[in-house]
Amino acid sequence: MSTPPAELTLDEVRDRIRAARVEIPEARLALIHGLLRDALRPIRAFDTREALTLEPAPTFDAAAERDRHGH
Amino acid sequence: MATELWDLGIAELGRRYRARELSPVDVAAAHLSRIESVDKRLSSYVTVTSDRAISDARAAEEALRRGEAGPLTGIPIAYKDLYATRGIRTTGGSALLAEWVPDRDSTCVSRLQRAGMVMLGKLTTHEFAFGIQFPGHRFPPARNPWNLDHIPGGSSSGSGAALAAGLTVGALGSDTGGSIRGPAAFCGIAGLKPTYGRVSRAGVLTLSWTLDHTGPMARTVEDCALMLQALAGHDPEDPASSREPVGDYTAGLGQGVRGLRVGVPREYFFSDVTPEVAGAFESAMATLRSLGAEVRDVAIPSIWSAPAFMVIMLSEAYAYHARHLRARQELYGEVLREKLLAGALLTADEYVQAQRLRARLREDVHRVLGEVDLLATPTAAVTAPPFAAVLDPDFPFARSNMAPFNMTGLPALALPCGFAPNGLPVSLQLAGRPFGEATVLRAGHAYEQATEWHRRRPQL
Repeated sequence: MSTPPAELTLDEVRDRIRAARVEIPEARLALIHGLLRDALRPIRAFDTREALTLEPAPTFDAAAERDRHGH
Repeated sequence: MATELWDLGIAELGRRYRARELSPVDVAAAHLSRIESVDKRLSSYVTVTSDRAISDARAAEEALRRGEAGPLTGIPIAYKDLYATRGIRTTGGSALLAEWVPDRDSTCVSRLQRAGMVMLGKLTTHEFAFGIQFPGHRFPPARNPWNLDHIPGGSSSGSGAALAAGLTVGALGSDTGGSIRGPAAFCGIAGLKPTYGRVSRAGVLTLSWTLDHTGPMARTVEDCALMLQALAGHDPEDPASSREPVGDYTAGLGQGVRGLRVGVPREYFFSDVTPEVAGAFESAMATLRSLGAEVRDVAIPSIWSAPAFMVIMLSEAYAYHARHLRARQELYGEVLREKLLAGALLTADEYVQAQRLRARLREDVHRVLGEVDLLATPTAAVTAPPFAAVLDPDFPFARSNMAPFNMTGLPALALPCGFAPNGLPVSLQLAGRPFGEATVLRAGHAYEQATEWHRRRPQL
């Protein structure tokens, strides 16, 4: 991507906490923010058109199933 | 020290049992006595099953007398307290399950007991294999035998600590993002995360089902191989269990590494590595070269996506715990509760994209493993941190060198490759192709035979 993606902000974390209706004390927000910011960095940098779709739907190709599941 | 009964490994004990030089009952008693005297300081055991140990050891002695002994007969073993054990409390390190007594064994426990192993007890785990125990938790955290002020790694914390301290000969761990290899690295022992589907997870508490693995931990690679032989194989009770035929993990152990191609992925895996870890790793590569391996750098283009691992783990862990988190949240340790709730803050599209990134990473690593036989990295970027640092809620999570192999499901082995100036162990990680455990173990064993790191013991 040409411009660096926006990182998850602390305010976004607060918004998500409200939307999910969970309680996380303010004192822990820095920890949760750091955890989610790092985890989401590659996802926010990911151009969804660059990768194949991943469809865990039933398929009926035995060879493909063997490959997918390793047996 | 080398003559102490608690210091012998699986292979050596087996040889001495068959030569009638040692009795499983004496060996079990020596371990129980050492646990009694040492574990007050380590807290590596949650439950010690003394009567069961002696009864198992007597049965093993009978089997030896009848000439029906296998390689694991009479060998002391302890199980991470995440594995269900019939009639024996299984806590998962959680107040929620503090009094749970399962009515059946997990498949792994069942297989090792059937192989004649002697159960010493249940080992401390981080709460539900995720949250380190903060002061005041129902179960105290295990401590690192090399320095009691430092963590032993987790979540198989008791497994790593007990092995390093000579409080068991073998142990089981589970590994969602490095929970076998991390404690192995920080405690200076060996631990194998097998290929996803190679060893059953039936009867083991779930953290994140597309990332969870089970596997052996021991003081040597050979001992891990001996345990894997009994553990591996299809289990209809684990939906991810593979039908891939089980190889012979010990027959080729002595074949060395001559001609093996070892790839070192420099990007990502070295960005946070401390100089002492980097130095030990480069020395290990020099040793592998001197043994005849071809070591060269390789590139995994999508390795930058590895931290998306945490999106998958948090989402799945929240899905598993959501109901209890709402109904019984007071029974969760506060830090674990909040980390699990972080899973509720992720969106469906983020989980899906993380799985797509995972698929691409898997393809890239698969391609690289077409050019080399093994990948080598430092297991952990640092040595074991002190409790004082980790218990700070703002402690930064280090980039994991282990999680990429949970994302890709590939077999990965941790084994000691040195000691830092602070006296704490440094570890080497070797990863291989799907179901390539025999090659990974063979390379690890060759390295171990050429070095002395695995023979060092902490002073307790």
